[in-house]
Amino acid sequence: MNQSTAHHLPPRIKRIWGYSALGNLLVLLVISGLLWLAYHFWNWPLWLSIGGLMLTLLEPGIELGLIPYRYRFTRYQISDLAVDMQAGFIFQERIAIPIARVQNVTLSAGPLLQWQHLTKVTVATASTSHSIDGLELADAERLREQIMRLAQEARHDQA
Amino acid sequence: MTKPKHTHPLGVLQQIAQALKDYWYLLVILLTARLGHLGFTISLILLILVFCGWPILRWATLTYQITPTAIIIHSGILVRHHEHIPYSRIQTVQRKQWFYLRPFQLEELLIETASHEDHTPEARLAAVPTTAAHLIARYRQTKPTTTTGSAAVIPDQTTVATDTVQAYYRINPQDLVKFGLTSMIFVPFLLVLLGLYNKLPKSMTTALVTDATHLARVLLVSAIVALIVIAWLGAFIWTLQRYYHFELTRQADQLETARGFFQRNTVSAPLNRIQAVRFKQNLLRQWLHLQTVQVLIASKAAGDEDDNDLVIMPVIQADQAMATLHPFITWLPTTLPSLTALTVPRRRYQIRNALLIVAIPLGLLSYWLPTWAWISLPILLLAALQGYFSATNTAGGLITSDLLAVQTGHWWTRDRYFIPVTKIQSLHLRQSIWMKRTHLAHLTINVRHGNHNQEIQLRYLKLSAAKHLYAWYLQSTLQRPDNPRH
Repeated sequence: MNQSTAHHLPPRIKRIWGYSALGNLLVLLVISGLLWLAYHFWNWPLWLSIGGLMLTLLEPGIELGLIPYRYRFTRYQISDLAVDMQAGFIFQERIAIPIARVQNVTLSAGPLLQWQHLTKVTVATASTSHSIDGLELADAERLREQIMRLAQEARHDQA
Repeated sequence: MTKPKHTHPLGVLQQIAQALKDYWYLLVILLTARLGHLGFTISLILLILVFCGWPILRWATLTYQITPTAIIIHSGILVRHHEHIPYSRIQTVQRKQWFYLRPFQLEELLIETASHEDHTPEARLAAVPTTAAHLIARYRQTKPTTTTGSAAVIPDQTTVATDTVQAYYRINPQDLVKFGLTSMIFVPFLLVLLGLYNKLPKSMTTALVTDATHLARVLLVSAIVALIVIAWLGAFIWTLQRYYHFELTRQADQLETARGFFQRNTVSAPLNRIQAVRFKQNLLRQWLHLQTVQVLIASKAAGDEDDNDLVIMPVIQADQAMATLHPFITWLPTTLPSLTALTVPRRRYQIRNALLIVAIPLGLLSYWLPTWAWISLPILLLAALQGYFSATNTAGGLITSDLLAVQTGHWWTRDRYFIPVTKIQSLHLRQSIWMKRTHLAHLTINVRHGNHNQEIQLRYLKLSAAKHLYAWYLQSTLQRPDNPRH
């Protein structure tokens, strides 16, 4: 991918990732609380609650810590011909999806994304689907328009 | 044919067979349960309802119409379904004719589209006259494949496709025998036989074991050999009857295969729906230079029970494969192209990975069951060989600007794929930080296969070669009609 034309995700996505890590923390806290109750009342093994608590602290911590890294190495590029996505540094991956192969584009946004006026874009081909975690609404709509236009110009997909 | 028609009454048999297949356990429960007189009568009535009443109702409520634009199927007892299948959306038409349907000129019809519904074909007509399939074939070929609301309608699309056969192949008996003998499905057969052994009454097996200790190892070894021979023979006969009189025909833009002795199975698929062509060789066939050729289609109907692809050439000498296939699928090259563009420069990584995968379970095994630790040695050796096999067989290259050929090795099976660029759904390039130093990368090619995605993974390629392919893919994605009719 040409590094100069490749885009980062909107910076606000970092905030969303942060909140979603906090959300995970909440869920995990509830689970460890339940495990502790189970230990207390039904004599479940203690190591379950301790393990649960450790996981509760570790998982969101790692997720939070990795946000700058995740942001820095996630890039995408949408040309007239293809969607080219890139992610990760330690495990770097690139995915090419020709627009001609795209069957449908789905824009979806949970409450956090809606609040930040972002949307998740999922591009599905006849056999796979790939998503970009968050795009500005305008960008996402442009991508969708582009794909719909191409799809109307020629519909030769035989799948 | 505008009025909805019922299928032939013999279709009821098929429905009953299906009910038996689905609810056989009810019979088992009835036979094993201790029921009183009343309970028995009630269950008997229930069984008759399940195995006769329901199938007859199902048959009676199912009607079909073959109109010039679509096949329409009405079905359902309580909830009525009306299914319209336009001809242009059909992926495959499969015809199954059991021997008992032959005298009546009837057959089972299964019609599949590319919709994502799993496991069930769009339409299943249990017993319809063979003329129905001919009618559908005619409509499919004369149907103008209109592009949705665009100006791309070319007048000659509506001309009737000629019925002349453009290419024909029929398996000769020697090849069929070779195919049967080199089939690896004797392995599952062997497992079934072993399973049967477990089902034998305890007294019998203990008697066998005491006998075995009497006659020492000789008997045991010969029993195992006999078991393998029986499994192999069973598999041989099974394959023989399945691929009996295998035929491949190309007619206009359709490819049709027919095979089978007890049940004649005919599948026809449009050539432009072929996602990829696969040349497959198991270990035995690699030694004998034989190949099996399959096509990947976006439909499940074509799938066999043991193998999810439509076989278009059961067995063929490797050096003749390309030339024989070219008349059927014209975009295939006539000779085997060089596949040296994508190769694995260093094999040690795959050998290492294969060893690592088995190392952990083997370590645990040796720890818990030290007496069994010796088994680690042959398994490690096998794993290393497997890694070596995968690395050696990874190959690929561009044949033309819009045809890619890749080869992989998995579980002692070598697969060679020919994939038109328009059928590659997406391309995935991966590299870990440790592979930066060695300039290696993994490449995954995503192709549609049945109702799901097939990943064709080429691991530990040279980075430059993988990147070259990636760039080619990004560039060559201009919308290009891959069907000469358009």
